[in-house]
Amino acid sequence: MAKKTTAKPRLAFYWAASCGGCEITITELGMRLVELSEKVDIVFWPAAMDFKYADVEAMPDQHIDYCFFNGAIRNSENEHIAHLLRQKSKTLISFGSCSHLGGIPGLANLFDVETLLERVFDDIPSLDDSRGTRPKQFNKVPEGVIEIPKLYERVKTLAQTIEVDYFMPGCPPVVDQVWKVMQTILAGELPARGSVIGANPKTNCDECERKKGESGQRIKEFHRPHEVALDPEKCFNTQGVICCGPATRAGCGLPCVKANMPCRGCYGAPDGVLDQGAKLISAIAALVDTSEPEKIKEILAKVADPVGLGYRFGLANSFLNDLKYKK
Amino acid sequence: MEEHNPSTAATFAAQVRSVPGGEHLDLCYSCGTCVSKCLIQQKLEPEYNPRRLLHMVMMDMREDAYQSPTTWLCSACDLCYPACPQQIHISSLIGAVKTLAVQDGHVSPLETVQVDETLCSGCAICVMSCPYEAPHLINKEVNGVMDRFSEVDASKCMGCGICVAACPMGAIARPGVANADILAQMKIKKRKDVPSLVVFICDWSLRADEDVALLETFPANVRVIHIPCSGRIDPQLALYALAGGIDGVLVCGCQPGECHFKRGNYVSQCKISLLDQMLGQMETAQGRVRFIQLGTQERGRIRLEVEGMLHDLAPLREVR
Repeated sequence: MAKKTTAKPRLAFYWAASCGGCEITITELGMRLVELSEKVDIVFWPAAMDFKYADVEAMPDQHIDYCFFNGAIRNSENEHIAHLLRQKSKTLISFGSCSHLGGIPGLANLFDVETLLERVFDDIPSLDDSRGTRPKQFNKVPEGVIEIPKLYERVKTLAQTIEVDYFMPGCPPVVDQVWKVMQTILAGELPARGSVIGANPKTNCDECERKKGESGQRIKEFHRPHEVALDPEKCFNTQGVICCGPATRAGCGLPCVKANMPCRGCYGAPDGVLDQGAKLISAIAALVDTSEPEKIKEILAKVADPVGLGYRFGLANSFLNDLKYKK
Repeated sequence: MEEHNPSTAATFAAQVRSVPGGEHLDLCYSCGTCVSKCLIQQKLEPEYNPRRLLHMVMMDMREDAYQSPTTWLCSACDLCYPACPQQIHISSLIGAVKTLAVQDGHVSPLETVQVDETLCSGCAICVMSCPYEAPHLINKEVNGVMDRFSEVDASKCMGCGICVAACPMGAIARPGVANADILAQMKIKKRKDVPSLVVFICDWSLRADEDVALLETFPANVRVIHIPCSGRIDPQLALYALAGGIDGVLVCGCQPGECHFKRGNYVSQCKISLLDQMLGQMETAQGRVRFIQLGTQERGRIRLEVEGMLHDLAPLREVR
């Protein structure tokens, strides 16, 4: 683990295919960032400070002590920088759902790239498609040729691309957990490599105080959250609104649930669960009311988009993904 | 056998009558139709006999009734109920005897499920899914911390494994059918020339001895995994098999209305239906997971289903 040296640990933050929320969560540290900056050197953080890739290339190998990498691997640039930062970092932390599990960008693995491009450049109603523009890797302009990163066929997680030392889940990781992890790092107390950090071992239900289901209580009708008035005191699943909490690692402090919205699963599956989405349907299906068997099909028909429900953040890291994109 | 003692004869029978479900005791005229319908008697325990149990109750043979396997093995599948000419809800009556037995300190001899408190998150998925109302939540101090856990009433648990599959943490296990036990059985030596197939078979779905014997004769590319109920199937396990290169997964349960554990076949129907939808959305592995429901009269169908699935999987392999 971290060697106690007199020099301040060098930190880096990078974003690949992500929305920027993981960057916001770092800035959300607020005044604690000032405290942090006294104890560490930030040597690379393109979202917040002026660094160039050339600065990283010029670093000796393993120059960065802790690199926080957020975002999935969607294109050649993401992949290149992932390899570069791996080479330059002693400890690489996969930060946030996209990097950890593929995240929202990972849902693109439902479709092939051509279908995605058609949707984005031809079909979107708000877009003028008369020019028929499509992104090209090499683009001739009067000044020469501009190369943009190559879009890959599928989204990969960071660990599917390079070796990762720690995983910090969340979309984004909640700020209190970020601060705790920083303290752990500064104290040199990181657990065994390969661990999930900044989270708890059980599922969200362990920390959720809503009234849980009772014997014989079953789901007679599924609803989407906007279709019903949700009782803030009761377990969502007992109200027919599927909550991913039972199949999701705890640690976020339940901000969604406290806002009366079901858990969407961004912290991923707890240890020991092989596949978050499949586990969720294994649990939810067992709750379906079966006293009138002829109604089962009707009940299940209201489960809209099971993949989006069970793998909103984890599709790129699932068995389903392995089946579609054989390694 | 204890002596029939007229002085207490009314007592035990009256006690049974007073428990909800026990009120129909005296309607039984011992025809034995229930026994002829009972799968437990046919497949598991020849000594199992509801007719005899009810007679024991009427004759105040309390200890014999408590010791009888009939008291403990009835899973309330209720196949006997529509057959009873007296319309006695026999499982409720047996349940009344079991309730008294438990009150008198007797313990179920069945292999029941165990909750691992280091994993249990107290989500109550097991509580809601159980057909027998066996699990319930309790607050308890573990390692100095008060927390919420599931606790299973062993006298109610029938060991079907529905909660084992439903538990999101894998915190519930029954010896022999824990996730690790099933995963260990999934290793098949794959061959290039024939498809590999995992068959999850509910132990109750095959009624004919020939069909049970047939399971032993399948070639090495077909792996039969016995589960207590199709409700034990966990879509994770099916996907694990497919992702590991196994070509297909066949889940066999009982026909609608014939589940030995009341609702396990419907639960598996729901799971496989949702899993199918997922595979369809992802445009992958469609047709590789199949759920069939075997009826009482469908002797020999399992062979046709396995052969049929292997046949259907063969062309799918080429496109992999």
